[in-house]
Amino acid sequence: MPLASFILRRLLQLIPTLIFILIVVFVLVRLLPGDPTSAILGDRALDADVERINRELGLDRSLLVQFGVFVESVFTGDLGRSISLKVPVTELIAQRLPITMLLTAMAALIALVMAVPLAFWAALQRGRAADAVIRGAFQIGLSMPVFYIGLILLTVFGAKLGWFPVGGYGDGFIEHVHHLFLPALTLAFSLSAIIMRNLRSAIIGVVDAEYVQFARAKGISSRLILLRHVLRNALISTVALFGLSIGTLLGGAVITETVFAVPGAGRLMVDSIYGRDYPVVQGLTIALAVLVSVTFLLTDLFQAWLDPRVAR
Amino acid sequence: MSIALYRTASLPRPLIFGGAILAASLLLAIFPSVFAPYDPNAFDYAALLQGPSTAHLMGTDNFGRDVLSRVIHAYTIDMQIAVFATVFPFLIGTVIGALVGYVGGISETIFGRIVDAVITFPFLVLVIAIVSILGPGLLNMYIAVGVVGWVFYARIIAAEVKVQKRLDYADAGRAMGYTHMRIIFRHLLPNAITPAVVYWMTDMALAILLGSSLGYLGLGAQPPAAEWGVQIADGKNFMATAWWISVFPGLAIVLTGLGFSLTGDGLAEVLRTKK
Amino acid sequence: MRAVLDVRNLTTRFSTPTGALVAVNDVSFSLREREILGLVGESGSGKSVTLRSLIRLLPSIASQSGEVIWQGHDILKMSPKEVRAVRGGQISMIFQEPTTALNPVLPIGLQIDENLRAHTTLSHRERLNRARELMDLVGIPEAARRLAEYPHQFSGGMKQRAMIAIALASNPRLLLADEPTTALDVTIQDQILKLILDLRDELAMSVIFVTHDLGVVAATCDRMAVMYAGRIVETGTIADVFARPMHAYTRGLLGSVPRVGTERSPLMSIEGTPPGLSSIPRGCAFHPRCDFATNVCRVSQPVTETVEPEHDVACHNSLAVLEAGSPVQ
Repeated sequence: MPLASFILRRLLQLIPTLIFILIVVFVLVRLLPGDPTSAILGDRALDADVERINRELGLDRSLLVQFGVFVESVFTGDLGRSISLKVPVTELIAQRLPITMLLTAMAALIALVMAVPLAFWAALQRGRAADAVIRGAFQIGLSMPVFYIGLILLTVFGAKLGWFPVGGYGDGFIEHVHHLFLPALTLAFSLSAIIMRNLRSAIIGVVDAEYVQFARAKGISSRLILLRHVLRNALISTVALFGLSIGTLLGGAVITETVFAVPGAGRLMVDSIYGRDYPVVQGLTIALAVLVSVTFLLTDLFQAWLDPRVAR
Repeated sequence: MSIALYRTASLPRPLIFGGAILAASLLLAIFPSVFAPYDPNAFDYAALLQGPSTAHLMGTDNFGRDVLSRVIHAYTIDMQIAVFATVFPFLIGTVIGALVGYVGGISETIFGRIVDAVITFPFLVLVIAIVSILGPGLLNMYIAVGVVGWVFYARIIAAEVKVQKRLDYADAGRAMGYTHMRIIFRHLLPNAITPAVVYWMTDMALAILLGSSLGYLGLGAQPPAAEWGVQIADGKNFMATAWWISVFPGLAIVLTGLGFSLTGDGLAEVLRTKK
Repeated sequence: MRAVLDVRNLTTRFSTPTGALVAVNDVSFSLREREILGLVGESGSGKSVTLRSLIRLLPSIASQSGEVIWQGHDILKMSPKEVRAVRGGQISMIFQEPTTALNPVLPIGLQIDENLRAHTTLSHRERLNRARELMDLVGIPEAARRLAEYPHQFSGGMKQRAMIAIALASNPRLLLADEPTTALDVTIQDQILKLILDLRDELAMSVIFVTHDLGVVAATCDRMAVMYAGRIVETGTIADVFARPMHAYTRGLLGSVPRVGTERSPLMSIEGTPPGLSSIPRGCAFHPRCDFATNVCRVSQPVTETVEPEHDVACHNSLAVLEAGSPVQ
């Protein structure tokens, strides 16, 4: 069972990655200027107050001890309390992160729906007008900033035409999807451009491959040839790229949620950064990094399923 | 003359278009006042929120400032972002990548872990977090981007140097008794650097997107400075009534980004055929 | 015996940005039941394209003319659907490189099953049994287990056997073999050749065997056709062509085969290189490299004539070549 051992190996690899994430977050938050105590108390704090807060936050102990305490509390699910909202950070994350996850999942889906058929078309029309038009359009899509696309979609389809709500999240799944459609479409633009570009050249590389010729020589339908032989092989590298793009997608979610006033983790991140609510920033950074790692894992597994040579 | 024409004709078309866009952008960035019809920061209460006209080709904003003049002056800041946000990561990443690729072994393992960690954090989130701690502004943005950005260059260079190291001429260099530094920087690097240069072009396009995003969020260039992201943020509340305030700076971003991407594609083509 | 395949004036052109290239030029031959025909020539002579042209397995830039009569029907006039029924069903093909011709991400069993699904009405269970049977037939042990495995888990020879199993799945009447042994080790080559010969007898198929290896042709084929620059220049039985070559190019090819057992006569080799498709000389395409060339060869394309029974040649000086004798005796 090479696949089972591959999954196990990949899960074990997750552990050092997670530890590394914790180290980086810890170091970033502690070593950069702008300390949390003065963020809580402001510039004109009394020394006694500073000491008290330092003690409360554990900042009076050595860095190593602080790190130990930090790791322990993270693994027991305690990410501290929000300074401004006065609630546990884990609670905030549990509320807000699912919204961002739904948003990115929708964006990924929309990106695939836009990119895959067009990549096929462009690849099969290689060098002709349709290919040039599709590539040009996606190149422009790739050069557009997320907030700009968002603003235009919001104005046209939200404010002017009134097809979609101009912000918020709504109640119930259908409403959620309705509210998140424009933000997801906004996010999907650059991802679909990246996927389109990669998949197009992957398809061009595969379509003349000997095994595709051999499949044609078997007399099976063109649909089977395109889906099973061409697309499946072309997808292998695209899936890896897709995994790597999740981080970018989540970064884009920060901006999209700001533009569309979506109460997700990205919006919370920006608010917390403005408010110097460092436990929330720290907790969210960890949560997002874990989310990215898990996505890497999933895309790796999908890739192993697509390509048996990966699992070896 | 005929030689020059012939050489232009043999360049790939993306490089010609991209190069032309970039040349024009640089010209605007260096001499904005020559091309801008108005002072970018001059209020004109007699001409608030006016649509595009012959007097104001791109209209005016809610303070009566000429949008065209602000778009032109923004070239100075945004082109500067494209260069400064990428040149330091490029230099640092090249040096570290060359060393890692040449030395290999444990340094490569450690570097691999660093790469893993960095790609695990959403780049923009990390940059926003760092900028928020350092405080908003362009300088802090360059620092934040530099902390993370070098990794991508180092990864490209390390892989390339590793390949070059195995080729004969590197052995020849060692046999000649050259120092390691001389072999790395005089012999291996010039052959290994082309993919990093191509990536640099793409990265400058990304830097403009990032810089304007931070400007939009209020973490990059600070108002009233003319910067495209800031301008778009300024106009966002007027989108339904005075679209021109935001739309034109956005087009400038797209056009400049296109310039860098096309140049990168064209450069890749030229360097590939040269090999 | 009657002909199962009749190819008349087959021409295949590729339209490229720099103009049309003629890869297969006015090729005619026929194939009988259970016959193995060797299609011989240097690389670039158009033999592989000829093979693929028979079942229209060509890129979209190709255009074809002529006739390929298969069991009374012209394949070139068939609808795409009819062609698909012939491909893999009645006429199968095996490729040169099993490593690149098998899809790396699909299990061997599925790659056999695809063929069965396309051309038979067998149930799932019957197809599975048939797949096992095929693995046995081509000599792959532990069929049941190996059906679930992927190409990278097979050795080179086993991959070629698997490819043959796929090709034979739906009992084809004709097997097109495009240099099926070139990529293999010498010992494995012999095994695969023997397998193809055995299968021909067992399944009563005809075979067209493309190769540049005259040793393979002598060992396996009944008749041979020699190709040069997209044309067939000589056709005949193995015995006739080897003993009495009538085209200077054939004679040159025979002379360049290293032989064991005999004293090595100074190795004849054909000087120069075969022409590219874009620069085929006028007249007889072989004349710049030909020792027998006369003025007429430089201006006029020789027509194919039947000089002896079952022995056709397209050469202005075939009698002179014949008189010079065969380099293999």
